Amino acid sequence: MTDEEVCGTKGALNQVTVTINGREYSAEEGEILLGVAIRENVEIPHLCYEASLSPSGACRLCMVGVRKKGKTEMTTSCTLRVTEGLDVVTETPEILRHRKMLLELYLAEAPKSEVIKSLAARYGVTKTRFFKKAEPADPLGNKCVLCGLCVRVCNEIMGGGVISFVNRGPYTVVATPFFGENPICLGCGACAQVCPTHAIEIENPGDERIMTSWGKTRVKLRQCPVCGKYYAPDILAETIYAKITPPLSQQIQDMCPDCRRKYLAKQEVLVKSGDFSGGNNHV
Amino acid sequence: MKIKSYAGFINRQCVGLQKLKPDIPRITVGLATCGAAVGGTVIFERLKRSIEEQGLDISLIPTGCIGYCREEPIVTITHPGKPLVLLHRVCEDDTDEILRAVASGSVPFDKALCRIEAWDHLMGCTVKYGTGFDQIPLYDEIPFFGRQHKVILRDAGLINPEDVDEFLAVGGYSAAYLALTEMRPNQVLDEVERSGLRGRGGAGFPAGLKWRITKEKKSDKKYIICNADEGDPGAYMNRNEMESDPHMLIEGMILGAYAIGVEEGLIYIRAEYPLAIKRLTCALEQARKSGILGTNIFGSGFSFDIQIATGAGAFVCGESTALIASIEGRTGRPHPRPPRLTDAGLWGKPTDLNNVETWCNVPVIIKNGVDWYTEIGAENNTGTKVFSLVGDVERVGLVEVPLGTSINTIVFDVGNGGAEGKPVKAVQTGGPSGGCIPVRLFDTTVDFESLNAIGSIMGSGGIVVMDEDTNMVDIARYFISFATGESCGKCIPCREGLKHTLLLLNRILAGKGTETDLVTLQDLSETIVATSLCGLGQTAPNPVLTTLAYFREEYDALVKS
Repeated sequence: MTDEEVCGTKGALNQVTVTINGREYSAEEGEILLGVAIRENVEIPHLCYEASLSPSGACRLCMVGVRKKGKTEMTTSCTLRVTEGLDVVTETPEILRHRKMLLELYLAEAPKSEVIKSLAARYGVTKTRFFKKAEPADPLGNKCVLCGLCVRVCNEIMGGGVISFVNRGPYTVVATPFFGENPICLGCGACAQVCPTHAIEIENPGDERIMTSWGKTRVKLRQCPVCGKYYAPDILAETIYAKITPPLSQQIQDMCPDCRRKYLAKQEVLVKSGDFSGGNNHV
Repeated sequence: MKIKSYAGFINRQCVGLQKLKPDIPRITVGLATCGAAVGGTVIFERLKRSIEEQGLDISLIPTGCIGYCREEPIVTITHPGKPLVLLHRVCEDDTDEILRAVASGSVPFDKALCRIEAWDHLMGCTVKYGTGFDQIPLYDEIPFFGRQHKVILRDAGLINPEDVDEFLAVGGYSAAYLALTEMRPNQVLDEVERSGLRGRGGAGFPAGLKWRITKEKKSDKKYIICNADEGDPGAYMNRNEMESDPHMLIEGMILGAYAIGVEEGLIYIRAEYPLAIKRLTCALEQARKSGILGTNIFGSGFSFDIQIATGAGAFVCGESTALIASIEGRTGRPHPRPPRLTDAGLWGKPTDLNNVETWCNVPVIIKNGVDWYTEIGAENNTGTKVFSLVGDVERVGLVEVPLGTSINTIVFDVGNGGAEGKPVKAVQTGGPSGGCIPVRLFDTTVDFESLNAIGSIMGSGGIVVMDEDTNMVDIARYFISFATGESCGKCIPCREGLKHTLLLLNRILAGKGTETDLVTLQDLSETIVATSLCGLGQTAPNPVLTTLAYFREEYDALVKS
């Protein structure tokens, strides 16, 4: 009888053992190695990986050495799927050398990014031999490393496709079509959330949100009827409410999260204290 | 009329042979892109007009290119029972003289390059033209032709690429007929596997193995694709193969489809090849009408058809995953492999992708057998390879030699050394992914392993010859500039690394470089090779690395001055 049969785990996802830097870890077969490393607190630098998005392999920083038949082969850990007996090392002289060179390139590409500066410093790279990008009019503030997370989150999760890569080679940038305002933008700000170098700027002056980096796209904000605060883009709220079944009651639909919480809490108290009128008059 | 039986097949062969060897004189004009570029079209039109005006009984046919690009425009004349005579460097004003000579049963001897008495088209068909005109040298006596071994280019420049009958006449589609009517798919696959055919796109992956992997994948739908996105500067073998003999490619794909079990094929061709697209479209249409493509091919029950997808001018779209993205309508950016195309290719289905020339090798293998094929070439490098021999070389053209032929033979015996007698300094093979090979290493044989060992690659088959006047640092700069412009911009080593390589080379060439810059150049190149996502970046620094290794003194001279 195999262990699996004894433990009754057969049929579940296969647990496998992988070796990282000589230490064994258990993981699910087919899991992404970088994900395992992050879970187990094994340090591998990376910029373009996000568990909920499809792997891209663009930043090239997460390269590890896969040991097989006495040879070590470099590959990106964000695209490496775990199999039984996988044996990787995260730092070899070769990996360190190339990593440093890549960080020098990043310092030249995104000279204004503090995140890149501290990441590079962590691996002993404090200056770059290469010509630094200095574009005064860069809407991404000379901080973008083209990891593509913003493009992927907009496409894959929000279904927006508001931004994409424009041009190619060294002229590649992330932008809206023709660098202008994009009316299909929901203003959700997921792009800014995932950006590893905080390059994407969003402003919320008054009753609108300005996607400063995306052609100054303007999105109207929804005002809370209770407290008067502007709390979320109108079009985003509509899109999300349309997907909720059963729909939210009209009562709370327009409220900001704070007021909604207060309202619901109050309802709860009223119900528990025996007032079944629903407290509709209290809002 | 659709070919549904052996009799029908033979019938069409006879029709074609009648066109190839008519009872009247036949004049052909080489009208591939190279011929058209130097006035072939004008010559053809003028001949056509004169023949009509004078009411001459002459068959005038456009053909592809026989490969001797330097001698274009090439016109051939065949009198019934006489050898086929190649005229070279024909110009518009020669047409009257040509017609006068032909009308009197002769040829313009001062324009004649060579004569062909009989030609073996290798598909079980030798066309016997005849004898005579002994003062004109034989084809084999011309050094450019004599050292070559034509397998892929066997029909190029001799048949009308826009007439399926002529292709049938020289044994075309007989391998497909044989396979579909008498062989099982596995037999075809076994033959290709045993032939040792390796991918001609550059990497040299065994074609049969790729077919088998695709075949063994379980899926409701599979595809085969021909990669005709030839983009290396100086390489145009695939263009000529498609322009001169488009049916050969189609036949190869039919055989592949039958072996793998696929009903749909695609040819991904770059939009910069309008003539190849036109001829392929025409060939596909004719093949469909003849029952060679479509449902129930040759009445065998097997169905297969091919569509054409055109690129939009991106070099990186020759990379397999970027190519798929391009066909699907997305931006041509590579994604990491695995998954390989054989697992999830076009529309997520298992897909077999091969280069034009790889497909073109299949019919001769099936027709003549593995033993015949493996006789050609070297160990683990069977068959021939077509190279485009260009640059500072005396005889520019398409050269087909067995794999394992030395660079010396190609450059000096076939190409006759540097143009205008200048000493040759180096050759560059494999385009922007390849390296520069100095003349002292010209004993190197051209096969996948030997070229890799000296830092270059076979690539798709471009050989650019450089003479003593060439500045090798400038050559490196040219190729890096090309690769920088063609980088898709997805991964940093290629996007930023190549840009900075270019900036460094510019600085060195401007005389402002330092010794430290050379170290940086070397280190940066090594990182780009080791960390880039796709083949473009992984090989793009090769021109820098090989020139640094073999022509270091030129860099040193620039940084010292």
